Amino acid sequence: MPDVEIPLEKWTGKVKEVKIGGGGRKEVVVGGESTLPFLAFESSNPNPPKIAIEVHDKEPTTWAAPLLSAWGDAVKDPGTWAKKAVEFGADLICLKLLSAHPEGGNTGPAEAKASVEKVLSAVDLPLIILGPGVAEKDNEVITAASDAAKGQRVALGNCEEKNYRTIGAVCLSDGHIAIAKTPLDINLCKQLNIMLSDMGVPADSIIMDPDTGALGYGIEYGYSINERVRLAALGGDAMTAFPILNHAGGEVWRQKEARASDGVPDAWGDLEERSIIWEAVTATSVINAGCDIVVMCHPKAIERIKSTIEKLTGK
Amino acid sequence: MSRFIATSAIRGATSAVEQADTMLQDALKELGPDTPIRFTDTVGGGTVYYLPTIYGLLGSKVETLGDLVPVMEHAKSLVPPVPRENLWLPYLGETLDAGAATLYAFETIEGVRFAKGEQPEKKNGFEFNGPINDAQMRSWGIQMVDGRMPGFAALVGAAKSNEVAVKIVRELQSRGQLIFLCSTSNGRSIVDQLQEEGVDMGYDTFIVPFGSDTISAIYALGFATRAALSFGNIEPGDFRKILLYNKFRCFAFVLALGPVDDLKYAAAAGAINYGFPVFADTVIPNILPTGVTRFEHVVSMPFDDIEGKDDLEKAERLVQRCVELRGIKIKIAKVPIPVAYGPAFEGEVVRRADLAVEFGGKGGMCFEWLRMKDLDEIEDGKIEVIGPDMDSFEEGSKHPLAILVDVAGRKMQKDFEPVLERQIHHMTNGAEGISHQGQRDITWIRMHKNAIAKGFTLRHLGDILHACMHNDFGAIVDKVQVTLYSDPAKVEELIEEARAVYKERNARMAGLTDEAVDTYYSCTLCQSFAPNHVCVINPERVGLCGAYSWLDCRASFEINPNGPNQPVPKGKVIDETLGEWEGVNNFVYEHSNKNIERFTVYSLMDAPMTTCGCCECVMAIIPEANGVMIVSRDDYGMTPSGMTFTTLMATVGGGLQTPGMMGHGKIYITSKKFIPVEGGIKRIVWLSQNLKEELAEELKEACEREGVPDLIDKMADGSTVTTVDELLPFLEEKGHPALTMDPIM
Repeated sequence: MPDVEIPLEKWTGKVKEVKIGGGGRKEVVVGGESTLPFLAFESSNPNPPKIAIEVHDKEPTTWAAPLLSAWGDAVKDPGTWAKKAVEFGADLICLKLLSAHPEGGNTGPAEAKASVEKVLSAVDLPLIILGPGVAEKDNEVITAASDAAKGQRVALGNCEEKNYRTIGAVCLSDGHIAIAKTPLDINLCKQLNIMLSDMGVPADSIIMDPDTGALGYGIEYGYSINERVRLAALGGDAMTAFPILNHAGGEVWRQKEARASDGVPDAWGDLEERSIIWEAVTATSVINAGCDIVVMCHPKAIERIKSTIEKLTGK
Repeated sequence: MSRFIATSAIRGATSAVEQADTMLQDALKELGPDTPIRFTDTVGGGTVYYLPTIYGLLGSKVETLGDLVPVMEHAKSLVPPVPRENLWLPYLGETLDAGAATLYAFETIEGVRFAKGEQPEKKNGFEFNGPINDAQMRSWGIQMVDGRMPGFAALVGAAKSNEVAVKIVRELQSRGQLIFLCSTSNGRSIVDQLQEEGVDMGYDTFIVPFGSDTISAIYALGFATRAALSFGNIEPGDFRKILLYNKFRCFAFVLALGPVDDLKYAAAAGAINYGFPVFADTVIPNILPTGVTRFEHVVSMPFDDIEGKDDLEKAERLVQRCVELRGIKIKIAKVPIPVAYGPAFEGEVVRRADLAVEFGGKGGMCFEWLRMKDLDEIEDGKIEVIGPDMDSFEEGSKHPLAILVDVAGRKMQKDFEPVLERQIHHMTNGAEGISHQGQRDITWIRMHKNAIAKGFTLRHLGDILHACMHNDFGAIVDKVQVTLYSDPAKVEELIEEARAVYKERNARMAGLTDEAVDTYYSCTLCQSFAPNHVCVINPERVGLCGAYSWLDCRASFEINPNGPNQPVPKGKVIDETLGEWEGVNNFVYEHSNKNIERFTVYSLMDAPMTTCGCCECVMAIIPEANGVMIVSRDDYGMTPSGMTFTTLMATVGGGLQTPGMMGHGKIYITSKKFIPVEGGIKRIVWLSQNLKEELAEELKEACEREGVPDLIDKMADGSTVTTVDELLPFLEEKGHPALTMDPIM
């Protein structure tokens, strides 16, 4: 075989490294890429993608059957749930304070604080803490969560266009990391990063969630936005050069393909295997497009994605 | 700088430093250098920021009396000599140094008092708060950073009367401003006044009484310093960053009530270091130029000279003025009208049968006119109705109406008038049961019976405009006043004035040429679906969606400096005729993800603008006819290019640069800079029929301007021609100029 010279892309930009954890807690470093994912021959991407496992502050009532059977009784308590997530190989815990949703319990700062403390004392993994996704409630409970986790450098979210200032402020005050979430739009993504930076949030304390859909529900948008953001970062745009987080699990498990066993064509096959594949494929797609932290739910899907990452990084 | 203020402040600083030094020396002898100092408030809440002002500005951690010795040495070195009688200097630097020395002296004095157990102060059974604890600072700090709380007002001294004191505090509270209290004037303190009137003070009511003397004002600056350290990501000792942080992010000010003595001047100089302006309700010299503070430094507003029918109104105006001078913006959470408000109601139609009353429209007279005024010319929130209102209008009747919106703002520009005025349409349409069409003197407003039944009156139009102008354009608008004239004689009189202004604006727009500016604007709003598309908008070409003119972009950039409209400096000319500049090329290259390397403003054939998905029209060359055709989005028919609008869009859209094809706005067709390289309007051989009708007047004017007054009749349209085979005979028969022009390719 003749010698073939492999063409190498020379990038000028580099993604910022962000360290989550510390203060007695395990540390995880994400970001730091200087080329596209898994191109080890081109340049070194020092930190392979990490898996965060989703934990809720209240027992999920509408979860799909395959998830409930995989987690069993652990989902009744966030501390127990988090411990089990460690067994299932989580690099980080993503605690969602869903009980604060006005239509899902409307709990307040005190409950948020208690849940955070429970998870903090149950496990030593670094934490991502998200509010219920209603700006006003997010501000309320994330402010309390931030206080409870002071000194342990957690990632807090979501900072969105409407409420980035409050969460940005508590991140500054308590030394945490801000998760900047925008709806599948590179300009809005960049704009939010600029606004957080203008507030004084340091570059090593921002993680972007540019959003994604599940397989069959807009994964191509998720893939393409990740890729574009990353290409811009590698091209030298400092305001897109932050690590990327995607919610592969949350997106997949809402969809029919991960939930329905009756009334679907036989060709769809067994629900459990199908739903696991659905989550694994979604997660594989986003990490191939530049995702640094993929938030997932099913232990078997997590097992598969971890093995994929190992193969792709040659470790 | 006022020599008087400089002298007073320096004298005040000198005595403060002397007092602090004496107290420190005595305490060192009495208690020893190892005596600990820890700031706490009255409930025992403390701080991890040591003595925060000293820690923040100097980086020194004061934990004991002995730690204060080097601080005092530094303070002494800062105090400048008192200016001599006959020597005039700018003094600003000296005064600010004196201010800084005063702050160190004040904090040292409080530190010594803490060491001796004399703080927080107790006086006549009243417990002052002392320094704010860290937990409270964090909670308020978050609100200051996220904008819920603008900043704080430090009230120093005593108000004219108890009722004025209460009014000032209530007015500040209603604006979400934190209130800090300290000091006395003529033996009285605002703390006494509020206490006598039974006003609750404390963290819960956002009113914090620091102490009975001027020295306790240091707790306000300690609070500001900690906020900067905590939320500004600033290292202790980086005094410059701390001061800048407060100048730009903490909307605080000092309001001196009653006479101002040397010590207060010295403290004021300290506050000015932080960018906090100082206002006084007595006669003191003004320091109006801006610099250390964002706007005026020191403003005197003698209480009795303030306009107002009584003291309460004067107090209200005093606070209003302070808020304006500090540049605090107003947000209105809910539009205060009796009907629902929101984007869902924008498309509503009010039918004949439901019509309560209408203004303008066919045979009517209704116009809107937004004017820029000086800040002191208008009163924010003032809404007046002059003439009859709903109660005297017959059902279904038509009336004249004039809507005059006066706005003032430090960043307002005359050129933004039409930009804001055009928003009236969108703003008023948001109200349920109100429909608005047109603009300027062709405005047509219809109101639904249900809206009137719910209590909607003319003044509510003013309420809508006041709220929306503040909320949407707060970056450039500080004050909004609305006057609605329904008195027919008045409307007739004003409409002439307004028309003269419209004319002036038209002339200004006509004079606004590409050559007259050195900066164009970009629009990347569409990059979410056309990732590589960049609109470059010059004065003589609107964005291809037709919605953004050069002026709109300029205003949009003022409002949102990180938004989709960025200035594009033209830079060095590469080719004047083609309209190619280095600056524009660089910008487009960077913002098209490095896809578009060359970009010309004046050519269709050579590196034309890219097209996204929302252009109003597409033009394409017809080589056989040596010209171009233009099809509009509203035209569903076939065109001589063999493609419909939709098919053409599929070819040209998505951010592609396609020589010979380009998306553009309707009004661009009549621009003097319509594809000048290819010969301008004379190249148009085919035009959608609806464009011919819609732009009839402007097209006529443009054709006359180009010396081809009968050109419109020579252009084919969809009613007669839909194929190239039909087009050529048509053009030959009409003698279209394109046929004899230089080859387009």
